[in-house]
Amino acid sequence: MDIFTVSLWGVTGVAFIASLVENKEKTFDSMKIARGMMINMIGEIIGILFLIGLILTFIPPEVIKDILGKSNLFISTFISAFVGSITLIPAFVAFPLVGSFVDAGASTVPAVAFLTTLTMVGIVTFPLEKHEFGLKFAVIRNVLSFVFAIIIALTMGVIM
Amino acid sequence: MIEIIKRNKLLAVVSLTYIFLFIAMPDKAYLSVKNSIYYIIEMLEIMPVIFILTSIIEAWVPKEVIINGFGEKAGIKGSIFSFLLGSFSAGPIYAAFPICRMLLKKGASIVNVVIILSAWAVIKIPMLANEAKFLGLRFMGIRWILTVISILIISYIVAVFVKKEDIPIQKENNLSKIIGINIKKQYCIGCGLCEKLMPQYFKVVDKKAKWKEAALNDIQINKLKGIMDKCPVKAIDFRREEIICKNSNRNIKCN
Repeated sequence: MDIFTVSLWGVTGVAFIASLVENKEKTFDSMKIARGMMINMIGEIIGILFLIGLILTFIPPEVIKDILGKSNLFISTFISAFVGSITLIPAFVAFPLVGSFVDAGASTVPAVAFLTTLTMVGIVTFPLEKHEFGLKFAVIRNVLSFVFAIIIALTMGVIM
Repeated sequence: MIEIIKRNKLLAVVSLTYIFLFIAMPDKAYLSVKNSIYYIIEMLEIMPVIFILTSIIEAWVPKEVIINGFGEKAGIKGSIFSFLLGSFSAGPIYAAFPICRMLLKKGASIVNVVIILSAWAVIKIPMLANEAKFLGLRFMGIRWILTVISILIISYIVAVFVKKEDIPIQKENNLSKIIGINIKKQYCIGCGLCEKLMPQYFKVVDKKAKWKEAALNDIQINKLKGIMDKCPVKAIDFRREEIICKNSNRNIKCN
């Protein structure tokens, strides 16, 4: 375990004990939620993790590097942003997936675009958003989020 | 069996691929497992801690205090509150829809609602930890700063184009009689908390909580109010008499 993970466990451990001392019942309720969330997502998580292995085996790093690293950055960023908008995987499992692509040599610019639209733009949840807030709100918010995802990605490409 | 496969489509497809590979090209199969192992170990190290931390934050951050602080308050304070509310909540973006609608009714501005929705989607403390682990601290930090700036700009632009009148909000009639419980399926994450706390009323079927039709008296109604508050996505609501049903929306059935 790296220092980062260890310290995260440490912080969480302290928070857990503090929570336990303060209110036992509330803490156990929250642990029930944690367990429910984990059970709900575990199938998807295992699926994605083993999918990473398949991708890395059958798509050699050179290909990933060529397509997502060296080819036209604008096009690959735009496509990644679009894929992120229609994909329905939780951000939680997206990080190792994107991490594996970056490790294999993909540029971070399309990676950022994908991660940002994945969470902020929701084409699948669009009908729900339209229903709750009206068409105008939903369209403008989603379009702006898409545009800014690309701006964030390109800016990161300049900074990093 | 079929149900289990249906619920885990991705896992089923990946498993089948592996079974096929182990028969047809064992060397490729081993290589795939080897490639996955690193990410599996990393995930196992961080997954439980993220779920626990998310739940503790969810339990202890005084959301009610933040929500009550909104009112007509505008300006920087309201925006900071919005960022906090979004950042400290669990669940996907659509889980924020019911809370944001409630805030709009209470007088929150469009700017703040967009901030909550966006922050809810991208800025999660435990998720930032996950991002830093797989993509690096620097990557996470820069993306976080750029995202916060972008959210502010987006929210102000949305508020220029969308006025409150554009948002459909129905009046709620709190005086009508409670005749049952309504669970908004789209928002339920199937955490099972309601079932664990009140198994006589709730059951999780196919990842969604279901209301077991049962008679209600005042004492039970009060108990149920507690469950509603505990529901992490606020998907449980009272089903009221006719009047509301006619006004209520198409997706949520009133049978």
